[in-house]
Amino acid sequence: MARNLAAFLVLLLSISIYEAATIYEPISDSHRTVALELFAPVNGSYASLEDTYEALSIYEILAIEKKPDVSTTACKKVLEILGSSSPPKDVFYALKVNGKLKCKVDEKVLKDIASRLKATVSDASTLLDIYHSIGSLVLIKDQTSNVDVLLADGDGAFQSIKALSQSDGRWRYSSDNPESSTYAAGLALEAFAGVISLASSEIDQSKIDTVKNDILKLFDSIEKYDDGTFYFDEKIVGGHEHQGSLSTTASVVRGLTAFSAITSEKLNLPGDKILGLAKFFLGIGIPGDAKDFFNQIESLAFLENNKIATPLILSVPETVFSLTNQDLLKVKVNTVLGSAAPPLTVKLVRGFKIGAEDSSIFESKELQYDSKRGLHVFSFLSKHVDVGSYMFVFEMVLHGTDDDKVYATGGQIHVPIYVTGIIKVGSAEIAVLDSDLGSVETQKTLDLSGNNVVSLSANHLQKLRLSFQLTMPNDRAFKPHQAFLKLRHETKVEHIFVVGNTGQKFEIILDFLGLVEKFFYLSGRYDMELTVGDAVMENSFLRPLGHVELDLPVAPEKGSRPPAPPVDPYSRYGPKEEIIHFFRAPEKRPPQNLSLVFLTLTLLPLIGFLVGLLRLGVNLKNFPSSPVNALYAALFHVGIAAVLLLYVLFWLKLDLFTTLKALGLLGAFLMFVGHRTLSYLASTSAKLKSA
Amino acid sequence: MAKLVVFLTLISLLPLLCNSFSDDKPSDRHILVLLDDFAIKSSHSLFFKSLQSRGFDLDFKLADDPKISLQRYGQYLYDGLILFCPTIERFGGSIDAASILDFVDSGHDLIVAADSNASDLIREIATECGVDFDEDPAALVVDHTGYAIAATEGDHTLIAADGFIKSNVLLGSKKIEAPVLFRGIGHSLNPSNSLVLKVLSASPSAYSANPKSKLTSPPSLTGSSISLVSVVQARNNARILISGSISMFSNRFFRSGVQKAGSPTKHDKSGNEQFLTELSKWVFHERGHLKAVNVRHHKVGEVEEPAIYRINDDLEYSVEIYEWSGTSWKPYVADDVQVQFYMMSPYILKTMSTDGKGHFFTSFKVPDVYGVFQFKVEYQRLGYTSLSLSKQIPVRPFRHNEYERFIPAAYPYYGAAFSMMAGFFVFTAVHLYNKPT
Amino acid sequence: MAKSTSKDAQDLLRALWSAYSATPTNLKIIDLYVIFAVFTALIQVVYMALVGSFPFNSFLSGVLSCVGTAVLAVCLRIQVNKENKEFKDLAPERAFADFVLCNLVLHLVIMNFLG
Repeated sequence: MARNLAAFLVLLLSISIYEAATIYEPISDSHRTVALELFAPVNGSYASLEDTYEALSIYEILAIEKKPDVSTTACKKVLEILGSSSPPKDVFYALKVNGKLKCKVDEKVLKDIASRLKATVSDASTLLDIYHSIGSLVLIKDQTSNVDVLLADGDGAFQSIKALSQSDGRWRYSSDNPESSTYAAGLALEAFAGVISLASSEIDQSKIDTVKNDILKLFDSIEKYDDGTFYFDEKIVGGHEHQGSLSTTASVVRGLTAFSAITSEKLNLPGDKILGLAKFFLGIGIPGDAKDFFNQIESLAFLENNKIATPLILSVPETVFSLTNQDLLKVKVNTVLGSAAPPLTVKLVRGFKIGAEDSSIFESKELQYDSKRGLHVFSFLSKHVDVGSYMFVFEMVLHGTDDDKVYATGGQIHVPIYVTGIIKVGSAEIAVLDSDLGSVETQKTLDLSGNNVVSLSANHLQKLRLSFQLTMPNDRAFKPHQAFLKLRHETKVEHIFVVGNTGQKFEIILDFLGLVEKFFYLSGRYDMELTVGDAVMENSFLRPLGHVELDLPVAPEKGSRPPAPPVDPYSRYGPKEEIIHFFRAPEKRPPQNLSLVFLTLTLLPLIGFLVGLLRLGVNLKNFPSSPVNALYAALFHVGIAAVLLLYVLFWLKLDLFTTLKALGLLGAFLMFVGHRTLSYLASTSAKLKSA
Repeated sequence: MAKLVVFLTLISLLPLLCNSFSDDKPSDRHILVLLDDFAIKSSHSLFFKSLQSRGFDLDFKLADDPKISLQRYGQYLYDGLILFCPTIERFGGSIDAASILDFVDSGHDLIVAADSNASDLIREIATECGVDFDEDPAALVVDHTGYAIAATEGDHTLIAADGFIKSNVLLGSKKIEAPVLFRGIGHSLNPSNSLVLKVLSASPSAYSANPKSKLTSPPSLTGSSISLVSVVQARNNARILISGSISMFSNRFFRSGVQKAGSPTKHDKSGNEQFLTELSKWVFHERGHLKAVNVRHHKVGEVEEPAIYRINDDLEYSVEIYEWSGTSWKPYVADDVQVQFYMMSPYILKTMSTDGKGHFFTSFKVPDVYGVFQFKVEYQRLGYTSLSLSKQIPVRPFRHNEYERFIPAAYPYYGAAFSMMAGFFVFTAVHLYNKPT
Repeated sequence: MAKSTSKDAQDLLRALWSAYSATPTNLKIIDLYVIFAVFTALIQVVYMALVGSFPFNSFLSGVLSCVGTAVLAVCLRIQVNKENKEFKDLAPERAFADFVLCNLVLHLVIMNFLG
């Protein structure tokens, strides 16, 4: 009877809700690897006790064996903090670390702290102080039984927390801060749980009910994604250290699970919201930040063990199946932390092809449970199954158990499945047709699985026809997503055409008469390429078919120009060719010897002159005899010689001005002696004449 | 067409001088990172950590945060900008598309990541930078022969791309062995734009289309002309990285293994981390940023720089080029730096030799054309900032006394002149004193 | 008839030669001087025809030196020739002085232009 009731309750509580098709995976070993990276201690210790506590929690929750040992340094810090009168926040984290590491703290110290904290609770004005104090007292209670932590005025503490609540379920941080925060609500709920467990006298049930109402109001403002994920977000940006959606949701989960654990009745929250929160945390994947990682893992640990509903995650590790390999469909059901689920059966409610939702290929099949591997399997691939993309709808059916734990399974879960296979390509042929007559000029068969290429030629009055057939392994027609014929000209201008089909037969006819303008009137060699591909086609290919020599008419004046070829970055940026300057060749000079020969030739007439003079029988008899006149005559000739020598010097190295100066002097001298000499000679010849 | 005109106008307005970096330290330090959602800060933390470990100071803000701004009182607050907000419709604060383009125009760097649901604003920013994303908002890059094999991805939108650009300065000297995982939208580059480079291109069988709907007309982007990741180096040396996938930067892709369809090798780690870390080093000027200092020229054998050269002089030209390594200026080593001796057109173009310590020098003979020349170094290499140096120097012809003194071809004439002089001297004597017998 | 023409030519030359022998010696000296100058000029022109006119200034100055000398010598001959009625009153020494001055100027110019 009870068993039936339980089973009925279980069935009732596996709610059927339409789920969108996103797959969530539970925590796995990849999380553990990253955890070791993120929470590795620096020089044997962590930055603060809060970080130490987070790292230790992670190692515990994820059951990581090879964790670093930080107990010595951490315990030292713990004892230090607990020994001195530190603020409640530091005490709180020190006690948390102590709870994990079990440092040997003196009971007297704990007693002192307990009495101090109790005083803080009654005087506290901010939510954080109350939270940390209450939390520390709860921790002390767990760590030792000899210290009295019970609150004398439980109601008073309860009231001071409640005073800060808002009407929409959120909480304020203190009475003088008007901003309300969802994060603070989480803290408040946890504090409430602590007060209830610490109160010396029972808290009134009506008070607990008000808190339950606050929780329900808080859940009214929950945010939702389309795929059934629920989360909390802060409305205020900035202000008291902006908490993102992850830390806010984590805080609420912490508070909620703590509160529900402490109350005797169950909270009236729908299981799909709990599952939605679990999916939010799982949907983050593996966070890269230590704080985010801790929030995620800790919240999932709380959700796994909470009293309201335990979420179960259905995951499909492989969603791509190959007909050639005949794989099995495997489904895993785990808790959020990856542990085993309670006994249940996974049912395939229906499986249909995308695009044909009405006709189901599979219906109401139960999956076999392979207990060795912990998987639910289903063999569904057969010769008759079409290649394509499918949608499978799963449902979990729990076997009744004795404990009345509630599980949130999420109803119907949609999983997209791909079935791939080798597509048979056959009857491929390419032909050049003559315009309207349709008569075939050239026809060649193609082997699209081989490597041979064809070479065709056509002019603008002809057409090109390419045809082939595609069939699935079960001999039905197949239409791939991508079927392109690409023609590429020598100048790299490309044109793409989609190959259409009727059933199995794919055919494209390119009428060049209509394409002349599209091809920019470019004649020449066009390389042909056929690309056929699809997500489910295992043998998608890109095949060069060969080339076709196209003869198109000449472009008219106003025809469109083909697009410019792309700039090749490698050539544009390369070094330029070197340029050498060719010097002007000097003019051809005559050989030196010729010049020397002619030099001697030029001097010959001088010799000839002298010889001639001698032949004529010249003499110098008229030279004046008297010494004075002889001197003047001699000086005259010396002067002439001096002037000529001056000229030679001028040619050799002097400049004109120096020469003219010297010439002036010499010239004056020459004039004087010349006048004397010539007048003497004139007088002598006159004497001779008259005589 | 209108986009092209706008883009060309903007590019032509880019100032020629790079005035954003101090010449001493061109690396950026403060970077503003705009996110759609703070979850990106956590899910892409490996990429951000790689930037922070190199000394960058990242400032994370939500893209619609009303308090963000790039400049205050005319001074820019940041040296670089990363936009990881593909779905943002309108930026908060004082930022908008025009202010981001002004930011780039003033020489600062930018990284933009789009995704399959990229907003019009991000597409507009990308278009202004020179790349055109596929206009269909539901399109993704699909590749049926180059996809990444994955147990849970069946629609071939996750691509294993290995069409890297061949450039050691952009991608580092270590070869990227594993392909890069990519899921997102593709873009094309304007073929006449010479400032934009395709760093990661898709394989020839890729195309950009909506994988869920049938294709009736050929897609506008196909094959290797699809660029998955592009960079722009503007004329003022600002660098922009544009990627069609933001998940390419995510921790999941960084850590994931990859096996390309059709290839038997299974790589344990994808090439994403190496590719993006090296590329981000280039974008933030830790590589490929050159400066040229200390241009000197002088006659062979002399030390001082003359104010004028003579034709047929032998001269030496030297320059020092350094490359910024992220922390200091290191000597630049290359064997293709060329200098031109230029007047209206280059008369001489010579490749300079280097001593490996950043000192480049060469020597040549001045041409026998006179005029006002320039020593021009126009160095533009793929991925490097462009160097444009020019120094004017006049060249004069021979002075009248710089010709050869005695021309051998004229010896007969010299001889004739002197023989006439000798003859004259003899004649004077004979003429006066000859006594006929 | 050829024989007679050659005989005539020979007779003509003999007559010229005997007439020329009658000129005074100093005029013969001047003639020889002129011939010397002209020959030098001719040789230079032949050289120029062979190798071209580079350097032109040197060629000009060489040739002009010869031509100028020849011209001045001819002028001197005219002025000194006693049978020349026109210059009866001019003292030959004066003509010689002009001749020397002009030659000196000529040679200065030639030296400047020779290069």
